[in-house]
Amino acid sequence: MTAQIIVNNLHKHFGSLEVLKGINLEISKGEVVCVIGPSGSGKSTLLRCINRLEEPTHGDITVDDIRITDPKEDINKVRRHIGMVFQQFNLFPHLPVKENIMMAPIELKTKSKEEAEQKAIELLERVGLSEKVDAMPRQLSGGQQQRVAIARALAMEPDIMLFDEPTSALDPEMVGEVLAVMKELAAMGMTMVVVTHEMGFARDVADRVIFMDEGIIMEESAPSEMFANPKNPRTIEFLKKVLSV
Amino acid sequence: MNLFKVFGEVYPLLFKGLWITIEVSVLSLLFAFVLGLCSYFFAQSKKAPLRWISKIYVGLIRGTPMLVQVFYVYFAIPQLLQYLGFDVRLEIFMAGLITLTLNAGAYMSEIFRGAINAVSTGQMEAARSLGLSHGQAMRKVILPQAFRICLPSLVNQFIITIKDSSLISVIGLAEIMYQAKIYVGRTMESFATYTWVAIFYLVLIGVLTYVAKIVERKVQI
Repeated sequence: MTAQIIVNNLHKHFGSLEVLKGINLEISKGEVVCVIGPSGSGKSTLLRCINRLEEPTHGDITVDDIRITDPKEDINKVRRHIGMVFQQFNLFPHLPVKENIMMAPIELKTKSKEEAEQKAIELLERVGLSEKVDAMPRQLSGGQQQRVAIARALAMEPDIMLFDEPTSALDPEMVGEVLAVMKELAAMGMTMVVVTHEMGFARDVADRVIFMDEGIIMEESAPSEMFANPKNPRTIEFLKKVLSV
Repeated sequence: MNLFKVFGEVYPLLFKGLWITIEVSVLSLLFAFVLGLCSYFFAQSKKAPLRWISKIYVGLIRGTPMLVQVFYVYFAIPQLLQYLGFDVRLEIFMAGLITLTLNAGAYMSEIFRGAINAVSTGQMEAARSLGLSHGQAMRKVILPQAFRICLPSLVNQFIITIKDSSLISVIGLAEIMYQAKIYVGRTMESFATYTWVAIFYLVLIGVLTYVAKIVERKVQI
């Protein structure tokens, strides 16, 4: 079986700054990959290249056998199958929760209004927010907003989910509720790429952990191996810092 | 110098002028809204000539006094066109409308730019990540939020346009100020007449500001 996401020799420059220096990565269907590393290591940029929110400078990315780095490819079509969750939630503040979730399926005509509404209610139930259907985003806590953001991404029925530090902007007591939703998604077989600082989550849920630093993948292995027995000196140093807290 | 005696004579004239003031201001604002939006999208275009058109337009309007613009639209351009062989005669109302529209449009273009920039890039990214095109994201996510943000500035522009419309009296548009000047010319009652003119504008703009505050509160996110 070929991999669902293939990243081949990916480079990304911001002006003269080289953020990604040749990333090679294959992720299979249903795999949960956590990307860890110090800030500025390029992990978010890598994630944002996978749905081309960042334009790669050089290299290839293939998702579901579609070469998304091909300029002729309709990126909007591809993105429908790749959900993304952001650090700052980015809910649409002018729309009630339900309409945040219904908007894309209706606008892109993948669902009728009734189907989209049905789906929104279903998804809100799944993330434990049935009672917030008609609330405005600003009336929700950070954790609740992030769960709505996950539901919004799921409304397009993606087969890949990208998470960009989904719990970094949350108060500590709200981290758990978001991670629980993500855990459930993982258990249901969703392909997930998660940039995170939650080492506990990486250890418990990931199939594979990737350690990035200075724009390259320094080390990758199963979480048990990565956390118990890191090989690269940079990984050892990083883990020592974050795990001793 | 009798304020109340003058009021009795002048208020029918001022009301007549008020109607024209409102008419020319509201119409020019509606057109300026569209013009400003076009100018904004030109400014954001990938095509350099469109960006230049927008830049030159906004630069010309911001860089010249409105009085000069009125004269230019009413006297200068028709003469140029006649010289080129077109028989063009511009009605006073039309000339005033065009000037106010061009003027407000340039400022609105800047207002839109500020408001759209104020909607965070995260909103665009979230919309695009769901598969929406740039246009769809603009229409469904960015513009509705930008509109709420720029509403106070739009009201402000409306007030400026109402006040600026008094300048159109120089070419003979029979709005409030023009009516007052005619009356003063006949009676020499400068103090009383212009006091009432000022009060007319104050009340008009006061009412508008109040209505705008209510609307603003209604659409707040």
